[in-house]
Amino acid sequence: MQFVLDGKTITATPGQTILKAAEAAGVYIPRLCAYKDLIPHGSCRVCSVRVNGRIQAACVQTVSSGAIVEHDTEELREFRRDVIDLLFVEGNHYCMFCEKSGLCELQALAYRFGITAPKYPLLNPKRDIDMSHPDVYLDHNRCILCGRCVRVSQDLDHKNVFQFVNRGLEKRLQVNGEALAATDLRVTDEVVASCPVGALMKKRVGYAVPVGDRPFDAQPIGADIESGKGGVA
Amino acid sequence: MVQSQTSTRKYTIEPLTRVEGHGKVTIHMNDRHEVEQARLHIVEFRGFERFILGRPYWEVPVIVQRLCGICPVSHHLAAAKAMDRIVGGERLTPTAEKVRRLMHYGQMFQSHALHFFHLSSPDLLFGTDGTASGGFSAPVELRHVLAVAAKYPELATQAVLMRRFGQEVIRATAGKKIHGTGAVPGGVNKPLATADRDALLAQVDQMLAWSRGALAIARDFTTEHLVELIPFGSFDSNHLSIVREDDGALDFYDGVLRAVDKDGTRVVDGVDCQRYLEVVNEEVRAWSYMKFPFIKHLGPEHGWYRVGPLARLNTCSVIPTPEAEAARREFLALTQGRPNNITMCYHWARMIELLHAIEVIRDLLHDSDLQGDDLLTSGPRREETVGVLEAPRGTLFHHYRVGSDDAVTMCNLIVSTTNNNEPMNRAVTKVARDHFTGRSDITEGLLNHIEVAIRAYDPCLSCATHALGQMSLVVEVHDAGGGLIDRRVRGGP
Amino acid sequence: MSAKPRIATVSLAGCFGCHMAILDIDERILRLADLVEFDRSPINDYKTFTGRCAVGLVEGGCCNEENVHVLEDFRRHCDVLISLGDCAINGGVPAMRNHVPLRECLEEAYLKSPGVYNPGGVIPNDPEIPLLLHRVYPCHEVVKIDYYIPGCPPPADAIWSAIVALLEGRPVELAYAGLKYD
Repeated sequence: MQFVLDGKTITATPGQTILKAAEAAGVYIPRLCAYKDLIPHGSCRVCSVRVNGRIQAACVQTVSSGAIVEHDTEELREFRRDVIDLLFVEGNHYCMFCEKSGLCELQALAYRFGITAPKYPLLNPKRDIDMSHPDVYLDHNRCILCGRCVRVSQDLDHKNVFQFVNRGLEKRLQVNGEALAATDLRVTDEVVASCPVGALMKKRVGYAVPVGDRPFDAQPIGADIESGKGGVA
Repeated sequence: MVQSQTSTRKYTIEPLTRVEGHGKVTIHMNDRHEVEQARLHIVEFRGFERFILGRPYWEVPVIVQRLCGICPVSHHLAAAKAMDRIVGGERLTPTAEKVRRLMHYGQMFQSHALHFFHLSSPDLLFGTDGTASGGFSAPVELRHVLAVAAKYPELATQAVLMRRFGQEVIRATAGKKIHGTGAVPGGVNKPLATADRDALLAQVDQMLAWSRGALAIARDFTTEHLVELIPFGSFDSNHLSIVREDDGALDFYDGVLRAVDKDGTRVVDGVDCQRYLEVVNEEVRAWSYMKFPFIKHLGPEHGWYRVGPLARLNTCSVIPTPEAEAARREFLALTQGRPNNITMCYHWARMIELLHAIEVIRDLLHDSDLQGDDLLTSGPRREETVGVLEAPRGTLFHHYRVGSDDAVTMCNLIVSTTNNNEPMNRAVTKVARDHFTGRSDITEGLLNHIEVAIRAYDPCLSCATHALGQMSLVVEVHDAGGGLIDRRVRGGP
Repeated sequence: MSAKPRIATVSLAGCFGCHMAILDIDERILRLADLVEFDRSPINDYKTFTGRCAVGLVEGGCCNEENVHVLEDFRRHCDVLISLGDCAINGGVPAMRNHVPLRECLEEAYLKSPGVYNPGGVIPNDPEIPLLLHRVYPCHEVVKIDYYIPGCPPPADAIWSAIVALLEGRPVELAYAGLKYD
């Protein structure tokens, strides 16, 4: 089957999402919550595209034959920029000392979109850091509620360590116990490597990768897909 | 506000310029034109010691260097040294120890070059009337590095390239010129790449030659104007630094605490830095965000001391590189081998250290250990730790406690310039009394004299309270009740 | 007054690292001296503005009343105002105190720290030292800012290319390598 992406005809397999079909054709649609082969979540909205005129999340929307998909337009770029911007101002993202700098997907997206300053007022919320677990820590300051850890813990680790509680601005990531130490999380679990930002991190790794050698120091996120080498996340 | 029976005239110098950081000076004079009070106020506050609490310990060396963009490596390494002990890795591998040392001496080199050329040289080079104070009173449009560049283009080019060299040493070891990540608990995250080593080696002889030249400028300026400079902002004091444990040699990276009094008697010697609290306490005063340290057993009245290049040359037994050691002996000859208490000799001492730093850098670049691949070490965990080193501006103390969950539970920092708080205040008072007494008209050039005395200490007020900024110089005349009766602003409308 | 465009720089609640990054343009600083006149800046002794400035570079956010006054003064005197570095743009590390009551920060430093000699329980409060704001603000939440150069500190090349662009009448655009948050 075929559909049209930004005026170009793309061939896709039935049931394939727009995100995956575009990726196969060497087109990178920005995304944050999409991860490996997890069932897509559609929560971050960074991959929003217009399908036959309607805004849809490319990670969950499957391709329909003959669909007209707009992806790289000024309107959508601005929409995505705003989504990324909001993720920054709603948390406390101190990139300057975060050990995830240069490896962080949120930061790399902001670089790709050329964001130089927050457009919206910084909320400076009061957030906690959970240091209780011997090998893993959870810094809520940096959590963007993408739900990757919730799904990886359930679907790949077959545990249920993380869940969301509350709604709207009060929404939080909650662990299944008093604190991380009370859960059955192990440092070897898949979930530990799944966080796109610096929220869920293996302890005592710190700044092992020197500045300059980090993945996003030299090339933008998505460059691997655009060069036809396949996606990472 | 000073209350006096007569009308008081208040002079404010604000912002202090060509120092790293943000402070202001107030001088109160009575109607007999006598200085009643002169103070250096540190006017900003950040709160590092509180907001670092709860953070993972391995973040600390990267967070705390944001205290200061001029000597970030000092904070980076002092915190890393502290965290080495937390992870039981204080006995670094040869590669890690030498890469850090190279980083630190690179920092010493760039910071001393910056201070001498970019910040202080306008005061030292524009004394066209044959006096030192001629330069202190030079027209304001001359008192910056670009004016130096216009008059002494070769010197300015050297200054820029010397600082660049030091910054390149830092980039090669820390990953960035400012706020890098090279030192990690128990070691470093990379060796020195051979390409970086070769690029630095290609320049090192030139840097040595220029450092000798810079030292000659500082020495000659001092010796040619001795009569003027000996009393300028000078006073007797104690001096404190770390020195190498086995022989008391000058060592910027590691050692034990030593302090001497004005006559050279050792009032503190051989004290392990872990026990720094037995040596140093800090007093709080309402009019400054910067605390006032003193040697504990001597008390706040008599125990205050100086740190930095002058103090280090007064405390150390020897400089372990030949050219700088020869320069040290020449320096000490000026005071017949006794401690040098001349404030303006800080510049000369600083350039001796600049030469020492480049000698050490040269030797390290030739050491193949820096290309090793054994970077990390660890041992039994500790809960409490102190990291101390000699930053460009003096002794730097970092003290932390870290819980078993890896989170920081206590942080105490005594930064280099804080140690010099009382001496800088005394220098300000002395210059004001010596130069302002009996004068009804205090000129802009005279006010710069105050800043010259402060600049001798190369204060990093940014570190000391994490403060920077700019304001106008305002001269206010108050009546006896403190009411404003006259006001003049320096530097135009 | 020369006909060269004038540049002013200031450091508010920053660490001077951005000013060091300006100096990290190295030999180009001497070229810059041919292109512009420096007005009020920590690297010279002009403590107030001497005239209208083409460009103002602001390092650091606002943590006290006086930072706000200075920033407003910069807005009044500069045609183009640039937030230089993370502290000016989002408060940076000093904004970490925004999550902690200010009194706790002061007590930690002046009352609780080990080795503190403070028999009177003094917290600095003299009229000569400016009042702290209850939180640290980014510059664009106080005045209008025209351009932003992020980084802690920004890469020297990014600062240089921005200044050159402005002097040549072009808008500031950052290359990928010049856009960093750390």
